[in-house]
Amino acid sequence: MAIAEPFVRVPATRTRAQRGRRSNAFSRLRFGDKCAVGMLGVITVLALITPWIVPHSATTPASDPFQAPFHGFLFGTDEVGRDVLSRVLFGLRASWLSSLAVIASGVIVGGLIGLVAGATGGWVDSVLMRITDVFLALPGPILAIAVVAALGPSLQHTLFAVMIVWWPFYARIVRGEVKALAARPHVEAARLAGTGRTRLALRHLLPGAYGATLVAASLDVGNLVLTLAGLSFLGLGAPEPSPELGAMAARGLPYLLEQWWVPVIPGLAVLFLALVANFAGDGLRNMLGA
Amino acid sequence: MASFMLKRIASMALILLVLAGVVFTLQHLTPTDPVHAMLGANASKSAIAAKSHELGYDKPVLSQYFHYVGGLLHGDLQMSLRTRRPVTTDLRAYFPATLELALYAMFLAAVLGAVLGLATAVRARGSGVFRTVMLAGASAPPFLLALLGILLFYRRLGWLPATGRSSIHTAPTGPTGLLTVDSLLHGRFDAFSDALQHLILPAFCVAIGPAVSIGRVLRSSLVQSLRTDYVRTARSKGLREFMVLYRHAVRNSIGPALSMGGLQVGLMFAGVVVIEQVFAWPGIGLYISQSIPRTDFPAIAGVTVVLGAAYVVVNTLVDISQVVADPRIALA
Repeated sequence: MAIAEPFVRVPATRTRAQRGRRSNAFSRLRFGDKCAVGMLGVITVLALITPWIVPHSATTPASDPFQAPFHGFLFGTDEVGRDVLSRVLFGLRASWLSSLAVIASGVIVGGLIGLVAGATGGWVDSVLMRITDVFLALPGPILAIAVVAALGPSLQHTLFAVMIVWWPFYARIVRGEVKALAARPHVEAARLAGTGRTRLALRHLLPGAYGATLVAASLDVGNLVLTLAGLSFLGLGAPEPSPELGAMAARGLPYLLEQWWVPVIPGLAVLFLALVANFAGDGLRNMLGA
Repeated sequence: MASFMLKRIASMALILLVLAGVVFTLQHLTPTDPVHAMLGANASKSAIAAKSHELGYDKPVLSQYFHYVGGLLHGDLQMSLRTRRPVTTDLRAYFPATLELALYAMFLAAVLGAVLGLATAVRARGSGVFRTVMLAGASAPPFLLALLGILLFYRRLGWLPATGRSSIHTAPTGPTGLLTVDSLLHGRFDAFSDALQHLILPAFCVAIGPAVSIGRVLRSSLVQSLRTDYVRTARSKGLREFMVLYRHAVRNSIGPALSMGGLQVGLMFAGVVVIEQVFAWPGIGLYISQSIPRTDFPAIAGVTVVLGAAYVVVNTLVDISQVVADPRIALA
């Protein structure tokens, strides 16, 4: 029975070590990564409370048109005299919350398909993965344009279109992780102990895929912010006068040479959001992956 | 290797069929009825029925799909509801401008990506600064780069033109439709340099995002190659660092960068569509942005099919070229 003892103990010490590592993970991040993750938290909070903190209305004029920045209005006013700062804050809110929604749906739908494929195996796996491969082989942004154009431009349709093209990536990741995990002894043990299929998939296979999926998703958010801004720029988002960053930049295009701030500041807001998301994603990868 | 190529081409055909199926399904989901849109609101019921019959809209869905695919194979992309011309005719007018921009952007992306990847991989110690630059480049929306580029290089410095493909009215047209090629063929060097000046800014704005992605992949695969035994052997037998990189490391790490380049083509098409609007570039992007507000779905479907097919074909070619370069891949 000398062998049995360490067998029982090893997992226990490992979990304790893991717990310790996890609680230290944030403090071990580099300063820049910490700032990015913190900033993303601030953006999320700001996005949730935007309607209560904006200085002016986003849809009705607050002053004369084309007031330059820093003259009473931090970011100036646009072609009808609306406060650009308020519109940009609402635009950031729309951008960030929609990106989160699309990523969440991608992770859930793709994760579910990947889990079913990886856990079931056999022909179900083959069929699901061939479908995933076909979707991966088609150009997502172009298809999204077609889907929105077919359904008619609106924010809901845009989100729906991007959700349709965004899941296959996650299906692949989750399926890969689950497949690798299914061959491990603890899963074999659970199966021998008579664990049912659903419970096996949810309790013994799925948790193993959390880390890889989270890292992939956090690195993916920046791309998504840019894709959504591009679609909005093409006029495939909410109709005027809703404040959307891409659409604001597109509508401000005629004023670029004289009133640069009207199209440029919304673009800078997209850059800011994507930059923070990318840095935070990198930070999260270092935290979870290292 | 032949069997791999056959398999890859067969799967390409399947994917193209699915692409056609997706576009066909979307066409049936649009709220605008093409027959109504074509004949106008005052058309009589019998006229609508006759037109539906003529266009085959009264047949079963599956036979409509095969009819649609058959049409695609013959280059028939249906009629545009806005311009009242066949979409194929419209695209023939708009496509060369987009193709030229996309080709220059791809070239720039490949060059910039290679430089970025090589520089960061070799000077791995100072990679912190490069990581920042790379992330910043990857985080900028193409339209912002375009706006800032116009403000700096057109308004402030006056070095580059802001809009259009050419400012010379007598610029040659034909036979390829690519302005830089045509002007060279006609020996018009003034038109060539003018077209090139118009291309620089838009091509750069489209290229920078894909270049960063390619550079990142190249960097990570290069860093791995540089740690291998054969690189150590090459170094220890006294090869210059340049030869180590060129002969041994780069050759073995170019594969992932190539396939990343293929995948980036889709993103590049999306970038081109956006960028064309900023620069008033007379290409597919302008065509699609005029079609969207008028809900001209056949036009959008045509663009989707053409760009989607180009993407699928390019990626198949990339896969095949990888196997040609490194036959071990076909066995895996």
